[in-house]
Amino acid sequence: MTSEDHPPVDRFAWITRELGIVVAGSSFVVLVAATLQLSFGAYPLSAVAAWRTLLDPTVLLSGGAWHAFLFGGPVPAYETGTLVTWTIRLPRVLVGVLVGMNLAVSGAILQAVTRNELASPFVLGVSSGAGLAVLLTVVVFTGLLPYLPLFAAVGGGVAFLLVYGIAWQGGTSPVRLVLAGVIVSSVFGSVQTGLFLLLEDVGVIQSVVAWTTGSLVGADWAQVRMILPWTVVAVGAALLGSRQLNVLTLGERTASSLGMSVEHARFGLSGVAVLAAAASVAAAGIVGFVGLVVPHIVRRLVGTDHKRLLAGCVFAGPALLTAADAGARLALNPAQIPVGIVTGLVGGPYFLYLMRKHRDFGGF
Amino acid sequence: MGDPTSGTDVDDGSLSTVSLTLEYPNGESPAVDGVSLTVDPARITALVGPNGSGKSTLLKGLSAQLEPREGRTVLDGRAVATYDETELARRLGVLHQEMDEVARLRVEELVAHGRYPYRGFLERPSEVDIDAIERALSLTDIERLRDRPLADLSGGQRRLAWLAMVLAQDTDVLLLDEPTTFLDLRHQLAVMDVICELRDNVGTTVVVVLHDIEQAARYADEMVVLSDGVVAARGPPAEIVTADLLADVFGIEATVETDSQGVRIRPVRPLSPPSHDRSL
Repeated sequence: MTSEDHPPVDRFAWITRELGIVVAGSSFVVLVAATLQLSFGAYPLSAVAAWRTLLDPTVLLSGGAWHAFLFGGPVPAYETGTLVTWTIRLPRVLVGVLVGMNLAVSGAILQAVTRNELASPFVLGVSSGAGLAVLLTVVVFTGLLPYLPLFAAVGGGVAFLLVYGIAWQGGTSPVRLVLAGVIVSSVFGSVQTGLFLLLEDVGVIQSVVAWTTGSLVGADWAQVRMILPWTVVAVGAALLGSRQLNVLTLGERTASSLGMSVEHARFGLSGVAVLAAAASVAAAGIVGFVGLVVPHIVRRLVGTDHKRLLAGCVFAGPALLTAADAGARLALNPAQIPVGIVTGLVGGPYFLYLMRKHRDFGGF
Repeated sequence: MGDPTSGTDVDDGSLSTVSLTLEYPNGESPAVDGVSLTVDPARITALVGPNGSGKSTLLKGLSAQLEPREGRTVLDGRAVATYDETELARRLGVLHQEMDEVARLRVEELVAHGRYPYRGFLERPSEVDIDAIERALSLTDIERLRDRPLADLSGGQRRLAWLAMVLAQDTDVLLLDEPTTFLDLRHQLAVMDVICELRDNVGTTVVVVLHDIEQAARYADEMVVLSDGVVAARGPPAEIVTADLLADVFGIEATVETDSQGVRIRPVRPLSPPSHDRSL
């Protein structure tokens, strides 16, 4: 059979040139950012040396080392350069990649579910719930400090359920969900600010700020282990739900007459998005703007089809986050700033630019 | 059991309601009050009536978008409430009055969504899907617009694109809510021609809410006139569209002529006070 037999089928092929460009460009950015991250620091390595360490077969092919990385436990003895690269710098890059992936995918889902291109992973209360949980843990339940990431994620999830409960009136609607998100966020935000006043130790205050602005400082294999399984689940579920997302963006009445159970799909997909966002909060705190900006940029490039959009986000999210984290680490070297500050500083103006340039900004 | 409306499961696009009563959550009185109606298969049935008479609500009841307070809608021998969503979407297509904005979607992508109830979880579009999409594009005569985003189209072209999406659903029954409102004459004719073609060539059962009584009279085989949520008249348009009906239901004084082109209505003036309108 020749390709002429089925020209119409190929019209629906989902891998397009634009998607290829997004994937290739994003991968390049991640590689450059990773090279910077791996070579700069208190123990400087040249770019070549950093990559040589990374491709070192005595680590790469060592069962013991991988066991230590992926399941915890003692890392075999290596020279300092290898240890710095493999146990300090690489995991930070990996956490950045996974957090960026989660946030971008989460944002893409929630923008479709709420039919609002200005929605972010935190629009349904996740960030306020997580932030409040962090402060409660730090201020009230200090004994539970080791479980801080878990509490942050749970706080985000609880806030999401609360938002859903408030928005529910025999069914939900995108507008009611967003409004309920605003309500819950403002109430939680007030409580959070109030708790802040109870903090006296400057060190604790700084760590809380790092949490609530998002930071990859000190991220290591423990964070990779924590976020990786959830990332696989969330990204997989999102890709499986891409057609549901497409149909949801047609509006709920149309989705319903096309045979979709709109409420089930909406809740399930929101749940996937919140899972992804909560996992990223647990690993890196509340990193803003990535989940808002990345789906937006990718949509401009690859169109509105969600399979394409999500696939693009899986690559572009890590690109923005690792690049921002390289900036966060190196801009004021040796002082490190939270990556969330960089994403905000880069993402905000870019968003402004988009808004000025495109009149149809905000529509699907 | 023993219920005459729930017996055999036939698949010919027959649609009826049994004392269907519909109301909105905050509504005071039912918007549709005990309507029993049988829609003829492979015919065009027009629902007409003044604003607020319950036309669109009845259409929602027919498509199971509103859960009835009493009574039921029966499609192919089974109550619509007993269909699962996908099964219903394969038999009954709905064109809503207003569509949400999806500006950047291309026409072809929109029409392809009409195949949603047929496609499996991860399947690529099959030959059947592609055929249905192509047929819908050609029926509505928008093949040349296939690669354009919806934002680029005129209101009439956009309505045709949404109609094409519903046609791609390939259903025996089509419910259309004011498909011609706000369109220029050319696109009004285009939409109504598509509907007639479906009835004649495919045997589709069409229920269409129309604002324009003349248009309804011209295209419909059967006309159902609603007034305050009940059926005020029904039958072939030439028989039921009379000056008395226009006065009683629509509250206007008008002259009605019937010729080979159909029914011609010449409105004279509104009758006041509108004694027919309980809602005021």
